[in-house]
Amino acid sequence: MMHSDIKSRPVYQPLVPDLAGGRHLLVVEGETLAAGRLEELAGVFAPVQARLHTWLAGAAAPLGGLGKLWQLESAADVVDALACASRGYGVGDRLYVQGTEPFLWSVATAAAVIGFGEKQVQLYHAGSLRRRVWCTHCHGMTEGVTTSIVACGGCGRHLLVRDHFSRRLGAFMGVMVDAEAPGEIPAIEEVFA
Amino acid sequence: MTIAFKPEETFRGDYTYRNSDAAVLRFPFPFPEDRYMYSVNIEPHVRSGPSDVFMRPFDVDEHYIAECRDKAITLERDPGRCQVLPHMMLAQWDTLELLMESLSADYPALFSLVKEGDDFGSRWTWTNRPLGLEQSFIFGDPATLPCEPFEYITRQAQGDFAICDQRDNNLYMDAGMVTSQADWSLEFDVGMSFMEWHGPVPLAHQTGVFERALKYLLMLRLGQPVRRLNWTMTINPRLDTSPENFPEWGTDRASVTPDNAGQKVHLRVELQTLWRLPRSNAILFPIRCYLASLDDLARVPKWGARLHRVLSSLPRELVEYKGLTRYLPAALEWLAQHDDGAELPVGTESGVTTLAPR
Amino acid sequence: MTGETLKLKVAALADIAPGLRHVRLVAADGGKLPPAAAGAHVQLALAGAARTYRNAYSLVSRPGARDAWEIIVRRVPTSRGGSAYIHECLQVGEVLEAGWPGNLFAPVRTARRQLMIAGGIGITPFLSYLAEFAFSGVEHALHVCCRESEQQVFDPWLAGRPGVSWYWDADGHRLDIPALLAAQPAGTHLYLCGPAAMNEEVLAAAAAAGWPDTHVHCEHFGSALSGGEAFRAFLARSGVEVEVGEDESLLDAIERAGVNAPCLCRGGACGVCATPLLEGEAEHRDHFLSAEERAAGLLIMPCVSRARAGRLVLDL
Ligand code: HEM
Ligand code: FES
Repeated sequence: MMHSDIKSRPVYQPLVPDLAGGRHLLVVEGETLAAGRLEELAGVFAPVQARLHTWLAGAAAPLGGLGKLWQLESAADVVDALACASRGYGVGDRLYVQGTEPFLWSVATAAAVIGFGEKQVQLYHAGSLRRRVWCTHCHGMTEGVTTSIVACGGCGRHLLVRDHFSRRLGAFMGVMVDAEAPGEIPAIEEVFA
Repeated sequence: MTIAFKPEETFRGDYTYRNSDAAVLRFPFPFPEDRYMYSVNIEPHVRSGPSDVFMRPFDVDEHYIAECRDKAITLERDPGRCQVLPHMMLAQWDTLELLMESLSADYPALFSLVKEGDDFGSRWTWTNRPLGLEQSFIFGDPATLPCEPFEYITRQAQGDFAICDQRDNNLYMDAGMVTSQADWSLEFDVGMSFMEWHGPVPLAHQTGVFERALKYLLMLRLGQPVRRLNWTMTINPRLDTSPENFPEWGTDRASVTPDNAGQKVHLRVELQTLWRLPRSNAILFPIRCYLASLDDLARVPKWGARLHRVLSSLPRELVEYKGLTRYLPAALEWLAQHDDGAELPVGTESGVTTLAPR
Repeated sequence: MTGETLKLKVAALADIAPGLRHVRLVAADGGKLPPAAAGAHVQLALAGAARTYRNAYSLVSRPGARDAWEIIVRRVPTSRGGSAYIHECLQVGEVLEAGWPGNLFAPVRTARRQLMIAGGIGITPFLSYLAEFAFSGVEHALHVCCRESEQQVFDPWLAGRPGVSWYWDADGHRLDIPALLAAQPAGTHLYLCGPAAMNEEVLAAAAAAGWPDTHVHCEHFGSALSGGEAFRAFLARSGVEVEVGEDESLLDAIERAGVNAPCLCRGGACGVCATPLLEGEAEHRDHFLSAEERAAGLLIMPCVSRARAGRLVLDL
């Protein structure tokens, strides 16, 4: 993860089961699974295995050790599944998420809607650093951004990708880079690989 | 007290906004010393201080009608400038009550509030003479107003407003009416916590300014509002310097020369007050914006010279954050002619009662 | 709507149960009171025989009421003298000094469900909560543990409100706290107010059931910035000795003595009032000094901080 002086940028921590929790839900974005990561997670979550459900988004099922296992296609499916579980979770339950930043915040926002408080949720950033960028001017989202400056998918303006981050939108702020001097666009660098 | 409103002046297009001499003299000049750095510059919001704008909790001046009109234009183009999260309804009524009570008590010739009772469910009648509005409604029933209560009343007030919900020992920006901001986006920030929305501010986090300010605000008491001044600079007397419309006003920054800086470059001072709200326990944060051109300010000799010194010694991080980089040299060159280098008394008072002719 | 203190007149007194006194207060000047809301308290100055007591009481009046405030005071033999004063001495027509309402127990408005547990007189803050929740429509439940005979005492404020359950100490009538806490959906916030033993039991049960502490709220009174023990301070440069009363700050006392002290926020945040401390030990209550500065003991913030013991000597 990149370091930044902008304090809205979340700091992510490794996932550790909170033993005080009732039921535990682990949600993993499949593409962020490095070799051996599932086995590692199974080890870490062994103390709560009996009360663990794991949702794997877009990955093949492993051998076991991750409680009751469900397979889902994508972040959108996870969000839908959470919305349907609206009354299913209690104040004592815990949610753990591993994924890219857009994935983490899609899930965290959906969990907040069904009542999960901040202290019930742990987020671990893995995989690509690519960003979801929110255009300050047309309010459109551009997904999968890996460069310091990106053409907005909505209005086409060249946006400077700032470190200022909104959890509600799960996105970084993009601001027109040549608004003061139209056409003066600095060199574009690959920075969020 | 009579205020000579200037209903026709504009804050966009032909920019006909001008300050009268009286408005220049009451300008809340923010620099007591020759250097500026962020600090927890919070003090009780009492009816006294070096500028006349502190004499009433909510200041109304000659630009009132024109500013309300500019706000309506901005909202028409972008209704998202007013956002209220669903749990903020009580805070909306708190804000309406505070503004209506204060304005009608301090400006009885302009505003009046007639109440049949104080509780929710009572009929209230609000009259706003400068804007020619009269509205009878049931306090506590949003359906009896043309729009939600926060939007209704803040459309009739100068400046921006944010409401912060207090929970988990933190403040969350859960409502706002933001049409004259210094380059920050409500749409992006709504729902953020105190440290998150202040994320982009340089240097102040490291020196503990925000940590101390937050602890102080969490203890803010009902009936004891506080205030602080914040400032930046704007090219042309433009209220809507939103990041949303940066493509519209960004090029203005490149238009400043040492010859036109006096008219083009404006000091933009925000009188920010903080109010504990009674029913919701939220904090209301009105941001009242005052604009004066360098020409205006230099008519007060102390202010012209002091601004020159503050801007010449401003830390590089602040210059960049406030977006001054491109035109600061031109502004400094213009201001230099008003600074003879003589020592200036500490304090923000103008030190004069009349202005040199224009 | 600004001010620091209010003069309140006692408009009515009534003993609503043995040891429970209801007090109705109006503005002494016949004007309106500031509005206050769910969870708010008011601090009253009660002139006892030996000293003035400042006690905080939950407002049980309608949220936002401006004609009168109501409080209910329990007589506790071992309590601070203020409650005894209210039961024994307070007269209708008497004028009391009060602070503006404070609120250290406001409900969390983002909650999806509000769960309240009261023990006896601890029901008082929840009387205004119920009125607000009825208005906002949020899902809520109040569980009251009290003596069987006390059930009807609060009827005038409950006015047939739904969602209230009663429990008392008899088989079949006790509240099963763990079962109650285990059954709550995500997004529930828990508020409790009662005797210390009950509070501790519920807090322990909530922790055991995995409730995050952000979702559990326990009533506590008193503002971190209010007074403390009286003490003396000597202002070395001015050669003035000041007495700092229980209810005033060191800064107030310095100003009262006519000595100019710099200040800005008057709440321990801005740092402007930092004053060299030449002798004595400070009880630091500010947010400004670092742990190292506190340990060094060379500075004090007179707007909020006091003497830990004995006399302070300031370079002022
Ligand atoms: C609680 C209500 C407050 C709200 C809603 C608020 C909001 C904001 C916002 C939205 C910004 C712009 C950040 C950006 O660049 O995106 C800002 C800047 C700032 N705020 Fe606050 N603020 C509040 C209170 C305070 C307080 C009490 C202080 C006291 C130290 C403070 C100090 C500052 C400073 C120093 C800046 C940088 C301004 C500049 O250089 O132009 N704020 N604030
Ligand atoms: S006056 Fe601000 S810290 Fe004391």
